[in-house]
Amino acid sequence: MSRRREEGETKAALHQVVEEMYTKLEKGETPTMTLPVRTKLNIDFDKKLGVYKYGKKRSTRDASSLGSAKNLLRALHMVEFIDEMIDNGKSSTLREMYYISEGWGHGKFSTQNESNNLAEDLEIITTSMREDFKLRPEEDGSRIIGNLTINELNRRGEWMKINARDDVGDSGYGVPYNVEREKIELLDHDVDFLMAIETGGMFDRLIENGFDEEYRCGLVHLKGQPARSTRRILKRMNEEWNLPVVVFADGDPWSFRIFGSIAYGAIKTAHISEYLATPSATYLGVTADDIVAYDLPSDDLTSKDIEALKSELSDPRFADGYWQEQINTMLKLGKKAEQQSLAKYGLDFVTDTYLPEKLAELGLA
Amino acid sequence: MSIAEKMASNQKQIAISEFFEKNKHFLGFDTLNRAIITAVKEAVDNSLDACEEARILPDITIEIQRVPKSKDQLILIAMDNGPGIPQKSIENVFGKLLYGSRFHAIRQSRGQQGIGITGVVMYSQLTTGKQTYVKSKIASESSAVEVSLGIDTRKNKAVKYSQERVIWTEGDQIVEHGLFIRTQMKAKFQRGSQSIVQYLKMTSIVNPHANITFRYINSDGELEIENNWKRATNNLPTPVKAIKPHPHGIHLGQLQRMLKDSDERKLTSFLRQNFSGVSSRAAKEVCTKANLSDGAKPKLLKTEQVNSLLDACSEVKFLPPPTNCLSPIEDLLIKKGLSKTIDSKFVTTLTRNPRVASGNPYQIEVGLIFGGSMPSDQQVQLLRFANRVPLMYQQGGCLLTQAISSIDWRQYGLEQSGGKGVPKGPATILVHLASTNVQFTSEAKEAVASNDEVMQEIRKALLELGRNLRRHMKKKKKMAKAQEKFDLINDILPAIAEKASSLLGKPVPELSSTISKIMNAVIMEQNTYWDKDTKTVRVAGILYNYTSRPRSYTILMNWPEKQGAVMIDNDRGGRKETIGLWAWKIETLQPGERANIEFGLDNLEKGDWTETEVFYRGSAEVIGASKLDEKILEEMKNQNSDEVLETMEVITEDIDETISNVASRAMLNDSTNDEIQKESYQTTLFEKEGDE
Repeated sequence: MSRRREEGETKAALHQVVEEMYTKLEKGETPTMTLPVRTKLNIDFDKKLGVYKYGKKRSTRDASSLGSAKNLLRALHMVEFIDEMIDNGKSSTLREMYYISEGWGHGKFSTQNESNNLAEDLEIITTSMREDFKLRPEEDGSRIIGNLTINELNRRGEWMKINARDDVGDSGYGVPYNVEREKIELLDHDVDFLMAIETGGMFDRLIENGFDEEYRCGLVHLKGQPARSTRRILKRMNEEWNLPVVVFADGDPWSFRIFGSIAYGAIKTAHISEYLATPSATYLGVTADDIVAYDLPSDDLTSKDIEALKSELSDPRFADGYWQEQINTMLKLGKKAEQQSLAKYGLDFVTDTYLPEKLAELGLA
Repeated sequence: MSIAEKMASNQKQIAISEFFEKNKHFLGFDTLNRAIITAVKEAVDNSLDACEEARILPDITIEIQRVPKSKDQLILIAMDNGPGIPQKSIENVFGKLLYGSRFHAIRQSRGQQGIGITGVVMYSQLTTGKQTYVKSKIASESSAVEVSLGIDTRKNKAVKYSQERVIWTEGDQIVEHGLFIRTQMKAKFQRGSQSIVQYLKMTSIVNPHANITFRYINSDGELEIENNWKRATNNLPTPVKAIKPHPHGIHLGQLQRMLKDSDERKLTSFLRQNFSGVSSRAAKEVCTKANLSDGAKPKLLKTEQVNSLLDACSEVKFLPPPTNCLSPIEDLLIKKGLSKTIDSKFVTTLTRNPRVASGNPYQIEVGLIFGGSMPSDQQVQLLRFANRVPLMYQQGGCLLTQAISSIDWRQYGLEQSGGKGVPKGPATILVHLASTNVQFTSEAKEAVASNDEVMQEIRKALLELGRNLRRHMKKKKKMAKAQEKFDLINDILPAIAEKASSLLGKPVPELSSTISKIMNAVIMEQNTYWDKDTKTVRVAGILYNYTSRPRSYTILMNWPEKQGAVMIDNDRGGRKETIGLWAWKIETLQPGERANIEFGLDNLEKGDWTETEVFYRGSAEVIGASKLDEKILEEMKNQNSDEVLETMEVITEDIDETISNVASRAMLNDSTNDEIQKESYQTTLFEKEGDE
């Protein structure tokens, strides 16, 4: 299992990248950067960790074309930048680094996507995390409500005890980008399980209906495809508090992917799946079967939806019988439904009927 | 008195001047903006024609003044350094419609119907009641004459109000010869695509021998706009000769008039004396076909007989009319004209050989410029010209536009919806039709009337330009690719090496071997530019061997030998491959080595030569150069001698009748024809390569 690194280790790992280029140049060859192939074709199930990790396929980026040569140069600038931040005890956002690259001459980034991707590449190559690089995202984490008590190190350097039911307003506890132990301690809880919810509308509906107290659960808002910190804190609460995690999302191909990234690890971050994935998480709904069983208002699948479903059929993370069946059912139905379509039967239907029935199936209610 | 006779006597004799007054819209005075453009146009056309005839390099100044505190009144001042007009002719030139020798002569000229400047005087009088002031100086007289003119529109006659002899000075110089006109009219000054500035700019493109100045003074008396389009060449247009009509282009009325006016006693000699292209054999054939005796007296032919004579003319083959009555602008000068007025990266031009349609000689010239600061999301700008006169209105209804629109420009790299219509892109397309008889759609002379033959001829010319454009784009793409590689090895790779070394605290490694591995190609870098200091064109090429093996090549470059360029400073030597193509042998270029080829071209002016083609002979590809097609080179070498043979054949056919013909052909061979040869040669070489 990869783990957080000491600063010296991080620097040494980064210098390996530089070393690879330098050695090639010294031999009169074209400088290269070797990294795992980052597609679904190269993720394998790690039995020991219970998550999907990058496999053995490697791709080599070399400086034989202008584009990839620039990428190599950028990597060198980024290594230097990270070196300096480590030495000076600073950190920066990915966006700040993007703007700082303006001064990198030929190595400057043309889009922020380029800089984000390269930061990920370096994480993967060095098996470090971007926190080791002193880089943080500007994406904010999610919100949590429920009888959960944590200790957070605030910006004055004091530990602050927060109960995510009693000490917060209706918007809940905001998850910071760093949820590692140096920043967040999980103190105590009085719930039976955690429910991760895709949309803000449904999250607020459950709070208004007092679902968290009635069913003794913690509610976590995913905000679509969840940020790293959201997945990480779910993972920690699951492991440290031994709480089951259920995922309540829309009934469409994109929700399946959200679940996949929570339970098995996302393809983009497969290098740190063991940090982020919660293998024991279960999918509560909305399932393809629910659309029929509850006669939910639905929309036709778009061509992009169908493409996504078909791609999931060959995704190793969805290779088991349950998912193959769900995906095929949805393809056959040609329909998808939103979480909030449950409102067809009234505002309380979701909390009074749907969720209790689904939780009973999972043995949680 | 019979009713008919009564009616006839009641009918007023309508003077042409009066007709004009009622029909000024036909003549370009229908809107206030157009009126001033038409007036400028008539003045400029007259100046250019007069200077051309007198073989003077024209200096033309146009000034527009807003009349203060008036509604839509402008003063137009037009001044030139032309030959001037003799005192006794002034009234006729400015006061009579359809005056002037041009109306009867058959040759290419700007104003064809002679309705021009008189219309301006008349319009001025009709809208402001003012007289037109004219000052003229001819070289043979010591003083200039000043006249104020009006027109009696019922009598088609000028009225002189004052006349004086004066000494004309400009600055402290006494004017040797020239013409000055000041007139006031109801008109509006506008900017944009249909403006005086645009008109003068276009005029300057097709009249690169003219120096044109424009000034606009607003109602506060301030100089608001000042433009000067400088002379780009000191060569006056080739003098044009008047020719006799050709039997294929004659109309019944014209033939009747000619027969009536003729002094010849025999029909055959009438035909031979009064027409071009008629040999004695052909004259006899016409008479036989028309069932008329050779000796029939031309004056006495009856209408049916004239009709059958006309029919016979259309059936008999004649020699084509001589084409030295045309005055094309010629390739190189169009190129110069375009380059000086529009900022661009690529210019291609073509002057086709003169041709004949229905007995009228005509010639097509086209130009296309691409890139630079022209907008890429808008329609291509079209510059239409007939006999060196810009056509600014009725673009859609013009044959020249239709020819452009009929081409699928998408295959040549311009955008065009559905492959039809005016294309989009950062380009300007120029079409010039020179002819002894340009058929317009209306009296306003703004749109050329449809004609299939001419249309096909324009299309051919434009397709050639299209191919040149495609070739240019392809080359640009290729060069961009090569440039990327250069950027890679010159900028990125050294930066990688330096950064990697400094991060590791190690010495910067030697890169040459890495560079060879990355490039793995032979690259030709070439640049053609104008050197201000030496006033010569410089061509600099570098051949790099970025492969791991030694290479040898023959590098060839084209150069404008036929245009009279002289190759200088060619230190590498080499040898002449054929006319306009030089070859250098590059013996064994070692890996990592480079070879320089540099030379200068003297006897050219700025803008004459801006792009040099590079070819190579050798086994491995050279990026930035085209492989030489030996077959086409052979053909091209042969063609140079074929031309001579062709001319010889014509001479033996019909000696006395064709002498003038051959002379004109030979003349064309000297100048324009060579250009065409060169253009098409380059294109074919490239096409071949593109087919692979």
